[in-house]
Amino acid sequence: MSRHVGIVGVGQTHHSRRRTDVSQAGLVREAVDRALADAKLSMDDIDTVVVATGPVLFAAVNQPEKWVVDAIGAQNKSVVRLTSGGGAGFAGALAGYYQVAGGFSERTLVVAYDKLSEGQLQYSISTLYDPFWGREFAVGIMGFSAAYWRARMDALGHTEEAAAMVAAKNRNNAIANPYAHQKKQVTVEDVLNSKPLCWPIKLLDVPPISDGAAAIVLASEKVAHHSTGRPAWIRGMAYCCEADNAAERSLMLSEPLAIASRHVYRAAGITNPRRQFDVVEVQEPYSCFELNYYESLGLCAPGEAAELIASGATQLDGDIPVNPSGGCMGANPIGAVGVIRLIEAATQVMGRNETHQIKDAKTALVQSGGGWANLRGCAVLSA
Amino acid sequence: MFSAPDSYPIDLPTFHSRIDLPYTLTPGKAAGTFLAEVKNQRIIGSRFASGRVVAPAQDFSSIDGEEPEAFVEAPHTGVITAFTRVDGNVIGFIKLDGCDNEFPHKVLADMADVSIGLRVKAEWDPGVEQSVLAIKGFVPAPDAPTGEVKPVVATEDALGVIPYEMKLDFYHAYGPYYGRMFDEIKENGRIMGVRQPGIDSALLPPREIDDISHKRTGTWKACADTGTIRACSIINMDVYGVTRKVPYVYAEIVLDGASTRMIHVIEIDSLEEAKEKIKPGTRVRAVWAEGERQGRVSDIARFEVIEA
Repeated sequence: MSRHVGIVGVGQTHHSRRRTDVSQAGLVREAVDRALADAKLSMDDIDTVVVATGPVLFAAVNQPEKWVVDAIGAQNKSVVRLTSGGGAGFAGALAGYYQVAGGFSERTLVVAYDKLSEGQLQYSISTLYDPFWGREFAVGIMGFSAAYWRARMDALGHTEEAAAMVAAKNRNNAIANPYAHQKKQVTVEDVLNSKPLCWPIKLLDVPPISDGAAAIVLASEKVAHHSTGRPAWIRGMAYCCEADNAAERSLMLSEPLAIASRHVYRAAGITNPRRQFDVVEVQEPYSCFELNYYESLGLCAPGEAAELIASGATQLDGDIPVNPSGGCMGANPIGAVGVIRLIEAATQVMGRNETHQIKDAKTALVQSGGGWANLRGCAVLSA
Repeated sequence: MFSAPDSYPIDLPTFHSRIDLPYTLTPGKAAGTFLAEVKNQRIIGSRFASGRVVAPAQDFSSIDGEEPEAFVEAPHTGVITAFTRVDGNVIGFIKLDGCDNEFPHKVLADMADVSIGLRVKAEWDPGVEQSVLAIKGFVPAPDAPTGEVKPVVATEDALGVIPYEMKLDFYHAYGPYYGRMFDEIKENGRIMGVRQPGIDSALLPPREIDDISHKRTGTWKACADTGTIRACSIINMDVYGVTRKVPYVYAEIVLDGASTRMIHVIEIDSLEEAKEKIKPGTRVRAVWAEGERQGRVSDIARFEVIEA
């Protein structure tokens, strides 16, 4: 039987388009110092460390955990480094969760980061394509995502207007987020009229490129109370994948996310997600992704995402607010985003979210992942 | 699969790909200050609360992660603590006088004249700035007096960004499935996949095991060079590494006879026209490149819409 695991301390950097005053390791240090202080702990109290980042090509440092360990004073501790595309931070948190739940650690520090100002983002992502079959025509993840969004328009009704509503909601929510760096009020019309980059994806459907780090301290039930009287307990957590060029895979719905959410909901006793969750944090690399999450996470039926966003239900004052933090639209240090979403949801159920505290939030859903549909995970947190 | 004894070298042609990336790395305060100061021929180090001195300067102690209490100027003299030879150059670990760490650099001497404990001093290259190579290397200086770590009052501003470039060449093995597919493209101008187990439609690119059933795939099958768009977007921005003129269409195309997609491009005249004309379900045909085929996907220059 696995043990209960709580998030007992959180910390993130003030994200930025470019931080020239700190190295990658210095950026990580800022987030770790904040998380440890928040958990009223020092590095001496930490048993194991997980370091998560995006692909090495993002910032040209191979095995960065060796550098990071020196910078955070974690020499001689058990350290695992994890990378899983856009879902790296979430996958890192899952690895940390397993360590504590399995009884191998009482307290695990998970730190995730990317310093995207240093490299060529879309080109780096293009190297994820098969070098023989497709890489020479790849346009990062943007060309691919836009193509399947176009297909979803026909199959699922994910219109440009619906995605623009998502973009405007998240961008406007991000204005109050002290850690976000893109804070400009926009309207749905602004999004629709912005320049097509990879049509149907337009400029304002796209989050910023960011430098940032985020850290959480996971603790067992035995020691959690040393840090806080109100941890955010992880009630279920999973991360699944699929092949992306197999027959019978339409990439219209994300099967891995549907599988992960089924598994997690069963563990957490969620039978009616729309009613049971008080708040949701999702990783939306482009606005169109969030529409699909509504469906794969069971907030609405497939084909009803456009109606859900139009109804206002996912706005701050709706019955199921999604991304009150502003999501990726406020800041998008890719490798860190999975942990940032966990932090934003954890602080909601701890009752101390700094952007938009949802009143009496008790149960939160977190989604994160990489690729268009093929690496997807989710978690349920509650006080 | 084809198998061969371990002792038998198999030297088949490989597929060359190059990853070529520019970077703007951020060294942070300590390394940034060290790199800014080399033009003044000063070696900046970090002094920690414990009294430990590290040069070149570091933002965090490798012992406990603590931040330094001050920058210091390290002497230009030290001793060699280890050495080796790489490509005819002697590379040594240098421990500067008064410092507690060693760092690697060039030793400008014959291997035969280098020994552990040899005293050396820095030789500067006045033409180089913003790089550890502003120190050209360390030359033997057996009689050099022991240098001292000195406090620094003021330093140059730390460098915020260091340009960097990575060029990586890879030589991928084709394996029997990709090997035959590209041979067929090159020799016969046809695109061949393998049938899914028990089904006539072909997996492209061909593979040994079916992704869904995990069963061995079937026989080879030539697919048509016509097909249907499954997903498409209109590229309208400049991306590093993409030289094609925008706008154009990025398309995921299922060739007739296949069940999986290939990625290719369609040329267009205008974005607005393409929004209407090119969509999922649109029928397209391959336009083969002129000249000798190379055995690559780019032997198909582009796809074009089949007018109804």
